[in-house]
This record gives sequence, structure tokens and C-alpha cells, in this order.
Amino acid sequence: MVKKKFLQIPYGTKDILPGEARAKREIETGIINNFAVWGYDEVATPTFEYLEIFSDEGAGLLAESFKFFDRSNQALILRSDMTKPIARMVATRLDDGRLNRISYLANIFRYEEAQAGRQCEFSQAGIELMGAAEPAADAEVLALAVSSLQVAGLQDFTVSLGHSDFIAGLLEEAGLNAAQAEDLKDIVLSHNMVGLETLLSTLDIKSDLQALFRRLLLLHGDLGMLRELKKTVGNDKSRMALENLEEIYALAEEYGVAGFISFDLGLIRNFDYYTGMVFEVYTPGMGFPICGGGRYDKMMEAFGKSCPATGFAAGIDRIMLVLARRDKLQTQTEWDYYVAWREGRLPQAIVRVMELRAAGKKTKLAVRPSDAEAAEKERERNFCRKLVFIE
Amino acid sequence: MDYITIALPKGKLFARSIELLQSVGYEADNVTEDSRRLVITNEASKVRFIITKTVDLPTYVEYGAADIGIIGKDVLLEEQKNVYELLDLKFGKCRLMLAVPEQMRRPNLTDYAHLRVATKYPNCARSYFQSLGIQTEIIKLNGSIELAPMVGLSELIVDIVETGRTLKENRLVEVASIYTATARLIANRASFKLKFDRLEKLVGDLRVIVEGENV
Repeated sequence: MVKKKFLQIPYGTKDILPGEARAKREIETGIINNFAVWGYDEVATPTFEYLEIFSDEGAGLLAESFKFFDRSNQALILRSDMTKPIARMVATRLDDGRLNRISYLANIFRYEEAQAGRQCEFSQAGIELMGAAEPAADAEVLALAVSSLQVAGLQDFTVSLGHSDFIAGLLEEAGLNAAQAEDLKDIVLSHNMVGLETLLSTLDIKSDLQALFRRLLLLHGDLGMLRELKKTVGNDKSRMALENLEEIYALAEEYGVAGFISFDLGLIRNFDYYTGMVFEVYTPGMGFPICGGGRYDKMMEAFGKSCPATGFAAGIDRIMLVLARRDKLQTQTEWDYYVAWREGRLPQAIVRVMELRAAGKKTKLAVRPSDAEAAEKERERNFCRKLVFIE
Repeated sequence: MDYITIALPKGKLFARSIELLQSVGYEADNVTEDSRRLVITNEASKVRFIITKTVDLPTYVEYGAADIGIIGKDVLLEEQKNVYELLDLKFGKCRLMLAVPEQMRRPNLTDYAHLRVATKYPNCARSYFQSLGIQTEIIKLNGSIELAPMVGLSELIVDIVETGRTLKENRLVEVASIYTATARLIANRASFKLKFDRLEKLVGDLRVIVEGENV
């Protein structure tokens, strides 16, 4: 009798089977190599960290993380994001006076309602550009995000681009208290347009600003929309945010990725640390973003350093799911050679196999003797392109 | 142009949903509630309709199997799915309330602490009692909630009322109103961004009709 637990795996986890794991590795390798082409050097950080590192994250995110204790009763957390650990690493281990271009491939852990494209353990590939506040840095991050998705084999996607200061400026202008601002942010985050109307009707905000808030979740469009919007904005912070987006967009045009970008000024991400541009990438048939990022200039202050930074992360599992749905994921591994042998010819077969392997051919060797006909069947069953039969 | 897939819930919201969509040009020939076909396509206006069980509708929209849907706010509050709520359609009004058998009525809400509550809406009931700091035992049922106190399964019920007739017939009295709900237009997160122009127009057109009728 097999014990019940032996047959199960924990909620929100999954096994990645032969073929899938290879396909995943190929996508990851393509992306990480592309990061290197753009000048980003890979790092790795511990899978778990002290809970404190993540404690100023949004309350919702902290509640969703996996926490446990070490032997001296220190609270630990399975990393629920890579940006925080990298900020810690850069602040404590690297010279933050210079520009750091960092990339990573890592498994992230978050207690999510498990469903297609959403797991409690998932794989992210991302980059952080630390030490630059210029629009050039943000444009580079955007362009690299687009390029990486293309490298992974995706073509049809949209980058929704917004700016956290745009909404922050409106909130300041409205003179809302912290609780009201929090309520409003929650509503914008969940895109609850009905809730937004209801909340606005209870707040004392001057009418033109009220009208802008009402349109906040519909502020989608191109550069023309952005420029029109700039005329109607009544505070400097929001206006500067729009100017910042214009500058980033102009550079994105030079990179040739502007065609993927659609402005979405109601975009808020589920992380409190963003201070500048924010973006999410959507693709048809996938209900969740496959990639997201933005600027977070204040995060390093928690580690005693002042350092502007920007970056993004892409969800490898979601990219794989999209590719699979479009029949573009090759999960059946194909091998070059199948080497079979007649009774007593194993030594010769080994010599031949090792020659093929030395030449870089993916080769499987039969473990039992067979005849030519049986060997041909075995070749097919093993998904090998060619048969070598040692008589 | 891509299709827009609209999920419609079986039941009391169905007829009015069809009517509303028709009035903004989303014609749905042959879409009837008891239709054997579950997916109905209108080639001319590039619309596809799917008909789902009420409680499942937000799930279809959350996953993106449907781009948009029409569903009661009561279901949204109970199911807590990650969907965008675009418009209050202002029909299908109903109320979630707490009721007790007449003879059980007590002066304060806190007097009902530690009792058993039968409901189809366990999440809403739980968060309501939590917001009052009252502990209760929630019993999830799938229908005929008013039966539970009659046979001693629970002392209280949390249920939707429209007219109040069922309550009266079963000698139950309402002791607190939890919320009022109406039908909502909801959208999938990605669809809202990727098909924004069409959806924005749909919301605008529907808003004109809904608000026009309520003036």
C-alpha cells in the first residue's frame, strides 16, 4: 500500500516532465543570453531570506508569502520577489556608486490561488538596472523586455505603460487623507469602475479633478492621448510624470519597440515600491500579465543607500503556457542517433556511441542486444532521427 | 478583428442582459436560456455568446475564456475573482440579509454570537460577522436556505431577498441588511487592455442607456 502523501505534491506546485523541462531550459537560456547581449550579468541570491527584508512590501503581498522560522527562531521568508533581494545584495555587496546591470533566473514563491499560469512556485527571468534615474534607463528596460519576449518566441503582445507619479500627483492634488488615498488606490488596482464612482461621490474633490479621476481607468491610448491629457492636468507631479513618459517613449521609438506600447495611466502594480514608470505586458488568451516592471527609486533607502533603479521580470511559466496554446512549444525532445547492436557487439557499439557523442550528437545506446528490425522500432519509440546498427 | 466573447448567466439576469446588449448593437439571434448550444456566434458583429451557470461566470471571465460578462454583484462579492468591474447595470436588484425565526429574535446583533448560520454565501457571511467581531459557525448550503432553521440545522440564515415573501411564508424576520446588489458588467484584465477600444465604446453605450432609464 502506497502512503497517500507519496502520491501528492503540495498545493500550487508542479512537476516539470521530460521535454517540458528541456523546452523551459531553452526558453530560459535564450532569455538569459539575450540579457547578456544587452550587458546584464547574472546573479543568484538565497532562496530564503529574513522576513524583515520584505516587511515593508504591501500588506497583501506579505500575507501571500511562505514564512517559517530557523533554529534560533528568526522569521524567514521564501523569496516572494527578486527585486528586494537584489537591492539588498547591491546595497551590501556591490559598489553602488557605479551602474549595476544585473539579471537573474529564479523560482519565486507566493501563495496564489492556483490556476492556469498561476502557481505558488513559479519561475521568473528578470533584470535590474541600478544607479540611473534617466529616461534612458527606463527605455532600455522597456526595450529589453520586448526583445526578451521576442527571443522567447512571442510576437503579439501589448506593453501597457503607466506612471506611478501620475496617480500620486492626482491624489496629492485632491488632498485626500492616507486612508482615502489607500481606498482609491485599491479600487484603481482592481479596476473597479463602479466602486470608483461610488467612492468619488463621497469625496470632496473639485469638479475638474473629479472628472479626471472618473476617466482614470479609461486613460488608454497613444502619444496623442498623452499630450491631450497633459493639457488637462492641474498639478506639476502628474505633468512631470507625463513628460517623463514622453521622453521614455521617444527613446523606445529609437529602439523600434514603440509599436508594442500602449499608454495606460490607470495602471497600478501590486507592489508599493514603484516610484516612476510602471508597465505590464499582456498577450491574447492569457488573463494575466506575462511580464511586468517599473522604476523603484526609494527601495535602496531601506538598506541605507540612495540609488535610483528600474527593472522588470517575466514569468517563464506563463510564457510557456502561451507558446503551448499557440502550438509553438516543442515538448517532445528529439535525439540524433539510436545505436543498437547484435548479441556480443556491445563493445563496438560503445566505441561508436562515444564517437557520436564526442561530435556533439545526442545519442541513445540500446541496453540489450536486438536485430535490425527490432532496433528500427526502438529507434522510433525513442524519438531518435537515425539508427546505427552494429552487426 | 477579433471576436468579443460575452458570458451570460442563466437565471433571472438573463433576459434583461440580452435586451441591453441588443440595444447597443450586440445582436444575439437564437440566444435563449434553454438553448442547447452553449456557444452562439454572431459573425456580422464579431461577437460570441456563451451561457454559463451563474456562480461560474466570474471564473470564465477571470481566465479569459470570456472577455466580458454580466453578473450580479452578490456573486462577485462571494466569488472574489480577479476581474474588472466596468459598469453598474442597475437591474436585478437584490439584497443580502440576516434573518432569524420570529421567536428567536433578540435585541442586539451581538446576541447572535456563536450560533449557526446557514447560507449560500459563506464568504460574505463570514466577512460580515467578522466586521462586527461576532463569531459564528457558517454552514454552506446550495439552496432552500430557509429550510435550515425550520429543521434545526441552523439558528440564523444569510440569504438574498427580492420581495421578502419567502421570509414571511417561513416565519423568518430580517434583523440586518448586509448589502444591496445589482447586475454588473465585468471584464477580463487582459481583454480590457487588448480590446480596449471596442470595450470602451460598449461601456459608454451601455452607460447612456442605463443612466437614461434611471433619470
